[in-house]
Amino acid sequence: MIPRLLFVLLLGLSPAVAQKPDKSIDLGQFPADTVENVVVPVPSEIFAVLDKLGNPNWRAQLGPEKSYPASPNRAQVALLLGTVIADGFVAVEAEDSERVKEIGRNVLTLAEAINVRKSVVARSNSIIQKADARQWNAVRREFDGALQDVNKAMIELNDEQLAQLVSLGGWLRGTEVLTSIVKEKYSRDRAELLYQPLLVDYFSGQLDRMSPRLRGQPLVGEIRRSLGRIGPLIKKSPPDGITPETVAEINDLSVQMVDLIRAKAGRP
Amino acid sequence: MKLLAPAFRRSAAAVLALLLAAPAARAFVDDALSFAYEAANPYAERGWIIREDAWGGDLGAGDKKRVAAQLFRGNSYMFFLATDVDNASLRVNIYDAQGNLAESKSWQRGRFAYAEIKPRSTGTYNVIVEVTSSPEERTGWALVYGFQRK
Repeated sequence: MIPRLLFVLLLGLSPAVAQKPDKSIDLGQFPADTVENVVVPVPSEIFAVLDKLGNPNWRAQLGPEKSYPASPNRAQVALLLGTVIADGFVAVEAEDSERVKEIGRNVLTLAEAINVRKSVVARSNSIIQKADARQWNAVRREFDGALQDVNKAMIELNDEQLAQLVSLGGWLRGTEVLTSIVKEKYSRDRAELLYQPLLVDYFSGQLDRMSPRLRGQPLVGEIRRSLGRIGPLIKKSPPDGITPETVAEINDLSVQMVDLIRAKAGRP
Repeated sequence: MKLLAPAFRRSAAAVLALLLAAPAARAFVDDALSFAYEAANPYAERGWIIREDAWGGDLGAGDKKRVAAQLFRGNSYMFFLATDVDNASLRVNIYDAQGNLAESKSWQRGRFAYAEIKPRSTGTYNVIVEVTSSPEERTGWALVYGFQRK
C-alpha cells in the first residue's frame, strides 16, 4: 500500500515519467488478430511530405471537373465515395475552394445513395464554409472526419464491408495521385513514399474476407485482381526497389482502377 | 475551453465507431477516448493535425497490444494513449518493422502516455500499447495520433 501511495505522490510531483522502453521486441509475441488494428493514413499525410520535397502541381492532379451520380450498386458507390473524398484532399492541396465545395456536395449525394447522408450533412456544410474561408487545415480535418463518419454510420448499418470499400477507394485515388507526381519528377525520396506493404496487405486481406456476394461483383473482382498485381510492386524495399519503371507500372494500375470506378458511376 | 465543443463532438463519433467495432470494450473506451483527445487537442493549436481515427479496447495489467501503422519519412507523428481507470498506468512505445525501438521520445503521466517519432524511413511501424499496472481486472484504453506537416 505504502509503495503505491508513494508512487502516486511521485507522479503528482513529477510532470512526466520516462520509463526506459525495451530497445527491441519480438514482434512474434503479438497474435495475428491485431491485424485489424491498422493505422490507415489520410492522403494529406503523404501530400505533406510531397510538398516538402518540391512543389507538386496539385492542380494537374485534380480529378475531372464533374460531380458523380450515384448508382444503385452500393459497392460501386462506396468505392467512388472514397475516391471523391481523396479528390477533396487534392483540391485542398491545390487550394481550389470552388472545387472543394463541389466535392463537399458530391460527398453528400453519394452518401445519400448508401443511406449515410444524415451522418455527413454537418461535415459537408462545414467543408463548404471552411473552404469559403480558405481554412485549409480545417477542411483537411473535415474530410478526415467525413471518412470516419461514413465509416461509423456504415458499421451502425452492419455495412462494415462497404466502409472498407470507401477506405480502399480513397487509398487507390491517393496512390494514383502519388504515383503521378513521382512519375513526373522521379526521386528516391519521393518514390519511398510508395513503400506501403502494410496497407496493401490490409486492403487485400479485407477483399479476401468479403462476402461472396461482394467479391463476386465484377468491379470488386477486378480491383482485387489489380491489387494483387500492385502488391509485389509496392513491397519492393526502398530506396533501390521502387524504380521509375515500377512507379509507372503502379500508376497505370491505379489509373485503371480509379477510371473503372468512375466509369461505373450512375450505372447499375 | 474553446476546443471542448469540437473535441467532444469528434470524440463522440469516434467513440461510437469504437463501441460498435468492439462491443466487449463498450464499458471502457468512451471516457478513455475523451481523455486521449483531451491530451492531444492542445497540439492542434500548434499546427499538429489530430486524426479523427482512433483505436481502443481493454487489456489486463501487464498485457500489450500492437497497432500497426504506415508512417512516412518527412512527417513527425505523436501518439496519445489514455485510460479512464484511476490509478492505472499505461505506456506506449513505437518500434520499426524489425522490432527495434524507433521513437524519439515517450513519457507516462497518470492516465496518459505519449510517444513521438520522426520516422527515419517510410514503412510499417508498430505502436505497442501496454497497461503496466491497474487496480481493475480490465483497463480500457484509447489511442489517437497526430502528424505535423511542417
